[in-house]
Formats: sequence, C-alpha cells, structure tokens
Amino acid sequence: MASRVSLKTKGKGKGGKVSKGSDEKSAAQRLKEWSTWAMKKAKVVTHYGFIPLVIIIGMNSEPKPHLYQLLSPV
Amino acid sequence: MAGLVPPGIPAVPADVSHTAHTKHDEKTDYMNLPCPIPYEELHREALMSLKPETFEGLRFDFTKGLNQKFSLSHSVIMGPTEIPSQSAETIKIPTAHYEFGANFIDPNLMLIGRVMTDGRLNARVKCDLTDNLTVKANAQLTNEPHMSHGMFNFDYKGKDFRSQFQMGNGALFGANYIQSVTPHFSLGGEVFWAGQHRKSGIGYAARYETDKMVATGQVANTGIVALSYVQKVSDKVSLASDFMYNYLSKDVTASVGYDYILRQCRLRGKIDSNGCTTSYLEERLNMGLNFILSAEIDHRKKDYKFGFGLTVG
Repeated sequence: MASRVSLKTKGKGKGGKVSKGSDEKSAAQRLKEWSTWAMKKAKVVTHYGFIPLVIIIGMNSEPKPHLYQLLSPV
Repeated sequence: MAGLVPPGIPAVPADVSHTAHTKHDEKTDYMNLPCPIPYEELHREALMSLKPETFEGLRFDFTKGLNQKFSLSHSVIMGPTEIPSQSAETIKIPTAHYEFGANFIDPNLMLIGRVMTDGRLNARVKCDLTDNLTVKANAQLTNEPHMSHGMFNFDYKGKDFRSQFQMGNGALFGANYIQSVTPHFSLGGEVFWAGQHRKSGIGYAARYETDKMVATGQVANTGIVALSYVQKVSDKVSLASDFMYNYLSKDVTASVGYDYILRQCRLRGKIDSNGCTTSYLEERLNMGLNFILSAEIDHRKKDYKFGFGLTVG
C-alpha cells in the first residue's frame, strides 16, 4: 500500500514538472539560468580580455609609453 | 631664605605634575587606537620568515617597466612539477612554461594579470573606491571546465577596526572582522560558508605585537589551532617559530626558522617537525639583478627539491 502511494505521488510530481517546463518557469529558476549564462559569458570575457585591458589602461597612463617599448626587450 | 619656601608645600610640586602629565600620555587612549592589520595578514611576519616561495628547477623573471605605473613581466619556469597522488610517494612531471604578465599599479587601482602558455590566467584587481572602502577580486581561470576559481572581497576600514566580506564561486561566502583592543593587541573573528561542500566554519584570532616581537594565535572549528611567534632580534635578524595543531585529525607540525636581511642578500631558512628543512637565498648581484637559490629537503618523504633562478628588474 505504501509503495503504491509513493509511486502515485512520483507520477504526479513528474507530470507537474513537465507542465512547469513547457508553460512557464518560476522567477527564481529564470534568474538562476540567467545568472549562470551571465557568469559563463563573464568568464570568457575575463579570460580573453583581462590582459588586453591592463595593457590598454597602462598605455594610456601618463607618461604615455611608445608602442615599440611594448614589444622590444629593452 | 626659609621664608622663600612656604612650609607645608612639598619641594617638588612641579616634578610631580610633570610625571603625572607624562603618565597621562603613556596611559592608553582607548579612543585613539591604531588600525589593525588585515585579517588575512595576521600571520604575515611568520609567513615571510617561515614560508618562502621555494621552487624546483629553473626560474627566470624579467620585469620591464614602461612607466612608473605600468610594467610587463616575462617568466620562464622549467622543472619538475608535483602532481597530487593518492599514494605516499610524490609523482613529478617535468614541465616548462612561459608566463606573460602585465601590471598596472596606481595608488587607487591595481591590476595584475598573468597568463601562461597553457591558457591559465591569474588575475588580481584591487580598487580603492573611497578612503575606507576597497574592492578586491582574484581569479584563476583555465580552459578546463569547472576548474576556474574567482573571489571578490569587499573591505571596510574603520578607525580601529577592519571588516571584510568575501564572495567566491561555488557559493563560497565569508566575513571577517578584526578590532584593536589596546595599542598592541587586536582580536578578530571570521565565519565562512561553502555552499558546494556544504561546510561552514567559524574562527577566532588574536595578535599581540610590540616593536620587538609579534605573537599570533588562531583557532577554527575546522579543527585548526595555529600559533606563531616572531622575535626581531635586530634590524637584520629575525627568528620565527610556528605551531599548527589539528585537533580533529590529530596532526601536529612545529617549525622554527630564521630570516637574515643583509645588505646584499636575504637568507631564510627553517626546519620542521616533519623532518623537512628549507632554505631560500636571494642575492643581489647588481642593481636590479637578483640571483635566487632555493632548497627543500624532506627526509621523511625522500623528496629533494633544488632550484635556482635569476630575477631581472
């Protein structure tokens, strides 16, 4: 009897979840998905862009260094 | 003559008031305590003496300054790198990599980035938003998924206290607070919560420092008790000792070390209760040219690490 009851509730739960996914997601779930997407994009942007950002900020600071100083070993 | 000094008045009223005045100066003004050092730098003196950055193999660092604030750095590191292994013996794999770095250091903004040939980025940002509020960020990003870490710290510095709030990836949250209680003594505490591992912890720390010595103690509910004592014997010599005890895993380590800061070189060495001796020498050959020798001998694990390097700029 108890196992039958639990199977029933499991079925109900699955049905409920399917309807949730297809119709609308709750605000918390949407926020979590959006923030995960944003963190992934931020990680890629930081990974490729941090060093160029530091170089751009440095080359624009006073006194402005020349471009050849960036590449030459002296 | 006798009439000049009225009877009844003691002969040294001026002296008494003078000593009373100086005593008042020496008495601690609890409203004007100095700002304590940041919580994560509690063991700073002991770490500087006892934990130099030893390495194995060759290390060559070249730093080129383009102007006062901006500099680029090139590093070449060749040598065996240890990989964590399940068994007791250490497994080392020879690796060689080149690391390019760019630093921008301003009084208000500091940006440090290092990128290696295998694509690993190590980035540090420190920004002073106001006189008292500082934002710091620290990230190690790799190309492999799920191996990257990032952490944000918000620091607030008060007149005689400091507080910090940390947020890291993997739902890691932490906060710590340290307060000066007397001009020499400060107390602090921290809490952290790691969402991914479902662990939380709380810890307390105390630090007592004078001109000649620094003593610190730290306890945490993860089982760690860490005590350290550093004595500055003279301008050039300081001695340090450290005691770490984990009361949950019953692990004990004690170490004793020295730090000689001489005109042309800096020599640090330590010996451990695990049978490990370390030594680190930085010799100044010329202006801007430093020669580094590092040795770490672990008799118990039979792990011998020797390294040499050169730092330019």
